Amino acid sequence: MSDTALSIRGISKSFPGVKALDDVSFDVRPGSVHAFCGENGAGKSTLMKIINGIYQPDTGTIRIRGEEVRIKNPIEARAHGVAMISQELNYVPEMTIAESFFLGRLPVKHGRVNWGFIRSEASRVLKEEGLNFSINRRLSTLTVSEIQTLEIARAVYHSADVLIMDEPTSAIAHKEVESLFEKIRALRAEGKSIIYISHKMDEVFELADDISVLRDGTVVSSQPARDITSAGVIAQMVGRDLDHQSYPKEAVSLGDTVFRASGLSSEHTFEDISFDIRAGEIVGLAGLIGAGRSEVVRAVFGLDPLDAGTVEVNGVAVKTTTPKQAIGHGIAMLSEDRRLVGIIPKLSIKKNATLASLNKVFRGGFARTRVEEKLVDAYFKKMNVKAPSNETRIESLSGGNQQKVLLARWLIADPKVMLLDEPTRGIDVGAKFEIYKIMTELARQGRGILMISSELPELIGMCDRIFVMSAGRLTAELTPDQFSQETILKYAMNEIEVA
Amino acid sequence: MPSKLKNFELSRYSIFIILVVVFVAASFLSPNFLSGDNMFNVLRQVAVITILAYGAMTLIIGGMIDLSAGAVMAFAGVASVIVYKSSNNMLLAVLVGIAVGVACNLVNAFLVATLRTPAFIVTLGMMLMARGAVLELTQGQNVLQLGDFILIGQGNLGWMPIPVLILIVITAVIWYLMNQTRYGRSVYAVGGNEEAARAAGIAVERVKYQAFLVNGVLVGIAGVIFMSRVNAGLPNAGIGYELQAITAPIIGGTSFSGGVGTVFGTLAGALIVGVLGNIMNLVGVGSYIQQIVMGLIIVVAVAYDVFSKRGKAKTTILKSTSKGEPKPPEGKAPATSGASTLEQ
Amino acid sequence: MKNFTRRTFAFSTAAAVAFSLVGCSVTTGNPGSSDTAPREQKDEYRVAYIARAQADSFAAWLADEMQDEAANYEDLKLEVFDGQADDEIENRMIENAIANKFDAIIIQANNADAQIPYIQQAVDAGIVTITTNPRVEGVDGTNSVDANPYDQGAIVAQTALEQIPEGANVVVLNGPAGNFHSTERRNAWEKEFFEKRPDVKIVAEDTANWNKDEALTLMEDWSLANPKIDAIVSVNDNMASGALEAVKGKSGFEGILAYGVDGTPEATLLIQEGKMTATSLQDAGELAQLNMKAVHDLLTGAEEEVNVNVGNPLITKDNAQEYIDLYTEAGLIDN
Repeated sequence: MSDTALSIRGISKSFPGVKALDDVSFDVRPGSVHAFCGENGAGKSTLMKIINGIYQPDTGTIRIRGEEVRIKNPIEARAHGVAMISQELNYVPEMTIAESFFLGRLPVKHGRVNWGFIRSEASRVLKEEGLNFSINRRLSTLTVSEIQTLEIARAVYHSADVLIMDEPTSAIAHKEVESLFEKIRALRAEGKSIIYISHKMDEVFELADDISVLRDGTVVSSQPARDITSAGVIAQMVGRDLDHQSYPKEAVSLGDTVFRASGLSSEHTFEDISFDIRAGEIVGLAGLIGAGRSEVVRAVFGLDPLDAGTVEVNGVAVKTTTPKQAIGHGIAMLSEDRRLVGIIPKLSIKKNATLASLNKVFRGGFARTRVEEKLVDAYFKKMNVKAPSNETRIESLSGGNQQKVLLARWLIADPKVMLLDEPTRGIDVGAKFEIYKIMTELARQGRGILMISSELPELIGMCDRIFVMSAGRLTAELTPDQFSQETILKYAMNEIEVA
Repeated sequence: MPSKLKNFELSRYSIFIILVVVFVAASFLSPNFLSGDNMFNVLRQVAVITILAYGAMTLIIGGMIDLSAGAVMAFAGVASVIVYKSSNNMLLAVLVGIAVGVACNLVNAFLVATLRTPAFIVTLGMMLMARGAVLELTQGQNVLQLGDFILIGQGNLGWMPIPVLILIVITAVIWYLMNQTRYGRSVYAVGGNEEAARAAGIAVERVKYQAFLVNGVLVGIAGVIFMSRVNAGLPNAGIGYELQAITAPIIGGTSFSGGVGTVFGTLAGALIVGVLGNIMNLVGVGSYIQQIVMGLIIVVAVAYDVFSKRGKAKTTILKSTSKGEPKPPEGKAPATSGASTLEQ
Repeated sequence: MKNFTRRTFAFSTAAAVAFSLVGCSVTTGNPGSSDTAPREQKDEYRVAYIARAQADSFAAWLADEMQDEAANYEDLKLEVFDGQADDEIENRMIENAIANKFDAIIIQANNADAQIPYIQQAVDAGIVTITTNPRVEGVDGTNSVDANPYDQGAIVAQTALEQIPEGANVVVLNGPAGNFHSTERRNAWEKEFFEKRPDVKIVAEDTANWNKDEALTLMEDWSLANPKIDAIVSVNDNMASGALEAVKGKSGFEGILAYGVDGTPEATLLIQEGKMTATSLQDAGELAQLNMKAVHDLLTGAEEEVNVNVGNPLITKDNAQEYIDLYTEAGLIDN
């Protein structure tokens, strides 16, 4: 028995024009959690895809339990005991639990699929995992967390020794995170190795035995977790010291109320929501997943229907049954789902940026190309958008840069009120800081900002007031002297605890 | 990064390079190919399909499709012929042809945009309805003796064949619409990501109506030119044209998943198909072989397009993921409730 | 398009005149070959006509004629079904007609081989079965009414024998691959013309799928590649007229000869104007008349088996006016 579960030596990988990984080496010990940290684009995903056999390295070796292997595809990876619990949770929604459990390796007896065996094994494992639902349920009826548990159970059942988890907590709720962590600790105790990729430092330090930091395709450090601090990891990730404790919040003198929502209701999602935003104010909206925060802003913006309630801009009641109307009244919304309700992937960043201001670009019968370029250049420069040119398709940018382009879209439209739903979700530390600065600048210009976030420090650091929602209702309006994670959480879990 | 630049430019202009290659090869294969007569000949032959192709392109860019183009073209063309024969008024006849094309397409638009039925199914239904309508109108018989109606398809203005002139004007108009107007930009946005376009304040339904309207005008004009060119009102005209009309934009780089495509790419695609058909007829290649060649061209063009995009994605994205999927490269992160990140 | 039914009725009456002009060959066949029981006499017989495709202009014309002709028989009730040029649909229509216990089924095959098993089923069910345009061979107990495509082609080819000059270049336009009528008409040209005239060169030949627009495009290209083309040989009139459209007014092609088959209104006009040379008539009216007579005779027991052909009169400049008059009367040609 070797003393490493997985040993990587000198792995390099180039794509046309780009070196994604450069001489990467590290070891994963049996019975340990090995965390990988790095900004978006540092090469984490490429590295994991190589370990999982999706990509082939240009040079370098992979050893599993001391034995050198060549992993040509994910099936071979599984044969070597490596399983990936993907962040995208690739599964076939219409498949039953039993089917998915043996997906890709259906047991065959006498040339036919052995369904009896599949059913008995699947229900046995489910019972062991404490999952008491029928093996005939379709995956589409399960929650993300349940599917994740199922995936882990499946990997362990098929005797995986090394489990790769890529952002496993990105789409599950707080309580579920706890049980996931328990599961991970249990696996570690059984001698399994877990490669854990996360942006979240608290998770990393709670779980990890070892931490490797990747930056620009190289391993900057790889060491036991006790030898490094969270600030140290971040510094290594960004390659510079970042004073992340302080947010670039400035005191702005507040103006009149620019936005007021009264008695907003939508059946089964939220009820009687009222809040207001003053000019220059950043108002937070906190709550657990499913509390109805995004649904409120979507309805205000005209993306979803509203059953009751009124919306006022600058004291005048306005109708916002479509986004077009909302924008016409000076309301902008940055969606939490950048991919679905944000970017037009195949359009250039320039065209994405001017999409909400086409009346400024198309005037007098023709496209005013120079005006468009100027508008875009000014904002891209101000926001430090990193892209080869204005003609680059937005889909080829990192999440942070995409988000900046979308912010630019709204700045060009020059709204009075901005509803920002998870504006820093899924983007790296450096870009987050830049977005905070932009928000500050917007507040200084006298715009009203509503910020939804699941990251409490961010809300506390940036907001002038915080509203808290729980199960579709407002449970608190907090002023800075009341700001604390404990208070916010208390109100956010209000109804849930009672229920 | 010069290699990246080279790669990008090549794939962007590859369709035009293919057109030039086909053109040069054709001129070596037949001494007649480069003659002025033959050049106009090719342009006359591609005019109808190219006009239909612009409509198909518009809809595909906008994330829709029109399977009824061939049948509606026949309906519009025959209606125009019948009106001309009874009124002797060319302008009225052309307007009726366009009106029929527009009417059918507004029905399509109503079902697709307002009732949110898939365009594929709606236009499949319209294909049958329009074909049935034109057969009923003529009882399946060809309408003959068109008189001066044939000027539109066969006449010249100076040395310029009228269908070619119409094609040039329409090319310019469609280019203008797609590149110089809010409407054009909106079509790309709606086809690229409908929800995001709506959230950016674009009136998605209106854009879909407009796209079908443009398609209707084009299909109507194509019908008039077609009937005039063959000097008959043929109720069976245009069977399979809906697919030929899709071929040109697809070869020309229009993405079936919407949001991508150019007018000149489509024109080049149509010319490639037209020049290949022409040169094969000139040198006596039979229609069976011609079908094989056309099939190959489509498959190769699209495969090349997909392949080159994959290469490009790797160069520019720098990392991970496959296909053109608009996923933020390192995936969506966050949203644990409650607990903080970054600092403890 | 005003009242089409009235006009087609007028036309079928006119066609009857043509029929009497040219006569027809009738072979009424071997009595005693059938041992089926005599049919029960009924006041009304239900007859299914399964047309190849209502979207095919000749088939549509024939279906119209069939309905008009059936109206002349008080004891026949004709229902027309559309095979939509699809073997699967055509076969299903035959099955439906058998299941619905029609007294007689007239089948215009889309593809003879594909329909044979179903025609056999109809015969086995004891239903009077007629194949028409084309005749389907190979099933005992069927009857047929057809135009003979070989004869249609041959009569035109024989005329061309004397007209096409020594050492001429010709182009040939064929119908869809595998189509019985197209193949037979082309065979007739081969045997009756090309084998006898080795001096004539085919400079281009391809299928234009019966279509005018496809023939137009082909001829545009062929006329550029071959500056000297003396004659267009086409197995239908639509394609011949399309090819003529391509060389209309083009210098060097003024005297081009053009041959078709079908005798469409357009062809008769072109022949009259001297642009087209000759065609032979495939007369839907006559086909319909013979079909209805055959089905009536078979149902009432007047005949036990019928296999007949309609005539295929040659149309040239000499007699084009007669047919133009007929078509004009029928409303298919404007005055």
